[in-house]
Amino acid sequence: MNAYVLRRLLGLVPVLIGVTLLIFFLTRVIPGDPATAMLGQRAAPNLVQRLRTDLGLDRPLFLNLNAARETGDVTKVFDSQYFSYMAGLLSFDLGRSIYTLIPITESLAHRFPATFELTIAAMLIAVIVGIPAGVLAATRRGTVSDTAIMLLALSGVSFPVFWLAIILIYLFAVVLGWLPPSGRLSVGMNLEPITGMYVLDALLRGQFRVAADAARHLVMPAVALGTIPLAIVVRMTRSAMLDVLGQDYVRTARSKGLQERRVVRVHALRNALLPVITVIGLSFGSLLSGALLTETVFSWPGIGRWVYDAIAARDYPVIQGGVLFVAVMFAVVNLLVDLTYAFIDPRIQYS
Amino acid sequence: MKKLMTALLALAFLGFVSAQTLVMGVSGYPSSLDSVDSQDGNSLVVSAQITERLVDFVPGGTDLIPSLATEWSANEDATVWNFKLREGVTFHDGTPFNAEAVKFNVDRWNDPNNEYSGRDEGKTFVPWGWVFGGPLGEGNLIQEVTVVNDYEVQFTLTQPAPFLPALWAAVYFQFDSPTAVKEAGVAYGTPSVGSVGTGPFKFVEWIEGERLVLERNDDYWGGPAKVEQLVFRGITEPTARLAELQAGTIDIAVLLSVDDLATVENDPNLKVAIPETELNVGYIAMHQGTEPLDNLLVRQAIAHAIDRDSIIDAFYGGLGVTAGGFIPSTMFGQPDAWPYDYDPERARELLAEAGYPDGFSTEFWYMPVSRPYYPAPQPIAETIASYLAEVGIEVELMTEDWTTYLADYQTGKFPMYMLGWNADYADPDNFLLTFFGPTAPNDLGWTDQETQDLLQQARQVADPDVRAGLYTQIGNNVAAAVPSIPFAHNRTLNAMRSNIDGWVPSPLGYSSVSLHDVTKTE
Repeated sequence: MNAYVLRRLLGLVPVLIGVTLLIFFLTRVIPGDPATAMLGQRAAPNLVQRLRTDLGLDRPLFLNLNAARETGDVTKVFDSQYFSYMAGLLSFDLGRSIYTLIPITESLAHRFPATFELTIAAMLIAVIVGIPAGVLAATRRGTVSDTAIMLLALSGVSFPVFWLAIILIYLFAVVLGWLPPSGRLSVGMNLEPITGMYVLDALLRGQFRVAADAARHLVMPAVALGTIPLAIVVRMTRSAMLDVLGQDYVRTARSKGLQERRVVRVHALRNALLPVITVIGLSFGSLLSGALLTETVFSWPGIGRWVYDAIAARDYPVIQGGVLFVAVMFAVVNLLVDLTYAFIDPRIQYS
Repeated sequence: MKKLMTALLALAFLGFVSAQTLVMGVSGYPSSLDSVDSQDGNSLVVSAQITERLVDFVPGGTDLIPSLATEWSANEDATVWNFKLREGVTFHDGTPFNAEAVKFNVDRWNDPNNEYSGRDEGKTFVPWGWVFGGPLGEGNLIQEVTVVNDYEVQFTLTQPAPFLPALWAAVYFQFDSPTAVKEAGVAYGTPSVGSVGTGPFKFVEWIEGERLVLERNDDYWGGPAKVEQLVFRGITEPTARLAELQAGTIDIAVLLSVDDLATVENDPNLKVAIPETELNVGYIAMHQGTEPLDNLLVRQAIAHAIDRDSIIDAFYGGLGVTAGGFIPSTMFGQPDAWPYDYDPERARELLAEAGYPDGFSTEFWYMPVSRPYYPAPQPIAETIASYLAEVGIEVELMTEDWTTYLADYQTGKFPMYMLGWNADYADPDNFLLTFFGPTAPNDLGWTDQETQDLLQQARQVADPDVRAGLYTQIGNNVAAAVPSIPFAHNRTLNAMRSNIDGWVPSPLGYSSVSLHDVTKTE
């Protein structure tokens, strides 16, 4: 088991090197560079030149052959944008944003917990509501409740998140005044973060009023973001359950005289969960890479909007650091999902 | 006893948004509080409360008033300027503000090899290049800064600049504490450090993506501000900003959507704040590197074909003004009337005369982002296209990613395109030189030496009447050659809770409004 995990983690290294190469290449082939993005409409040639020098963009991308030839020093060939970046990476230095000069690690340390908190909340909603609803739809197949649940699930995947978010804000924050419109904490609420997940931190510190405030801020974004995985979980649970409920061993269990509730919960659900866990893992991984629309409408300081803005502004270090981090997260979640299989289904063993 | 407890509890709950805290809802967080290393309104609206400029604008207007400098004078040809500084001012960290501090700041921006410039670590000072040409040896306007005495500083220029005080009034050029800059290095202006200035508010904390807090500077030279604490919240979507304002969780919301004007006006808890004019212009450029746009008659026909008034009525929510030229109508140096009224008949005649009786087809590029001067670029472009179609000109509507767009319009890739401008300082130079100066051959394919010469001449003349005359002449040259069509000047919609007073919208945008005099009553 440990050997398996180690092997999977080692396998990540070439993948991540590939990711850095790919991002480096992709960010540079799209037209426009940080100099044009920053100078905007006033990109006089002298200013462009000065800016490229200040930002270190005047060096070659991968191999600095000129420097090597001119100085006769072969190692100078690595005096390039890519190899400087990789050298920093080895010491966990992801550089600074071109615009804000904030170290990438500082931003990640602040933004990832925000994304993580929102992801957990959204996935909790998806799982707690989604699995029972899927089971209900499967056991009542063809009834009104089945149709109603599946219709709701369909609208969940097809509802534009942006639109849903605006409706939620208008209804619950403006008209009813029950929930704060956006952000993470009310003005005047102070919290010294521990993990960066505010509800948890406030509870850990025993600041219950702050915890309640943070939780109130979390509700609407989590609901808006949770609709998509919720719909997927419902549909997957339903189809997996239907599959399992039609199998021989379930018939056997029923014919033994077991209560239907016990048949569904113990015999069927446990076996139906495997594909459900796979989609939960995939959804979790993709939500961890940030939720652009939800973050935008609710001003949630997560990863998605940060990377998106960086792409628009050609903020290379942020794009590189952000995407690399997301790639690592995705791989880790995948590994965790694979490990969960073994717990759910004893027939699966990793060695 | 129970009543007392209840009352205390109620107080505790009400108390956490105290009357002394003003919450500003802006569209995002600063890129930096090192003002000359930032360039966006969201940065400058915050830094301008902490750090100050030599020269300021009168609240709600564009006339210059003293700030950290009290008076200024130039030699005859405006190449050497002396600025007297306000005495007895200290930075928030106790460092005295004096001529040495001014020299330290200007050298840091102007000299690329300055020990404290931080350019080798990624500081760029982009606005310095925009307004002052570039750093030393690379197009610089400022050659030398000399300390005359503790409270007088002298700027020696590379060429005459009669409008130098207006340049110093541009919102970027705020002075930072030399001690703080030296100490923080490249991290100066980032969330972990903030900034240190002489202004009415002091930096407290900035939590990335969540909030930025300032507190009142009780020792401010202009007297203490009215509110104790300022909180800035970046709320990306205009709809969400309005919702926050309606819910009472912010006090002032800037840059709302014009579609919401009626909502704000009908809400008894809110009031609108719209500047009388705003220094921006949107235009339709025609690149003469593409046929048949190199033909004057064709460009005139296009100008006659578009009904600007109707489009502005439809898309600017009553806040837009049809542009009579490329400078806002309140500025000196106005051109004579724009000679191209909406007249499709005349447009067709001109096209026929130019040899295109059946029209022609070309590409029309529209901006992928909305700006005050083009609040809804795509629908506006579609409407323009339909007007052009009426006279026989078929345009294919195109767009691309904004950064790419900014790089491409200078290459002649776009035959016709939309673009615009928000001013840095209130002078025709900031508009006309930008559009029709040295970059015009690239941007417009327009090479008119006379206009180029006039633009340079107007920069260097001290007499205001002579300058005004030169800019009128330049405006008339542009109207005659129609390298581009001025479209609209727009104003932005801001709103506040009805218990807020003293927020005076500025023609230079929300980032130029001081929060020193803003009051909040219960």
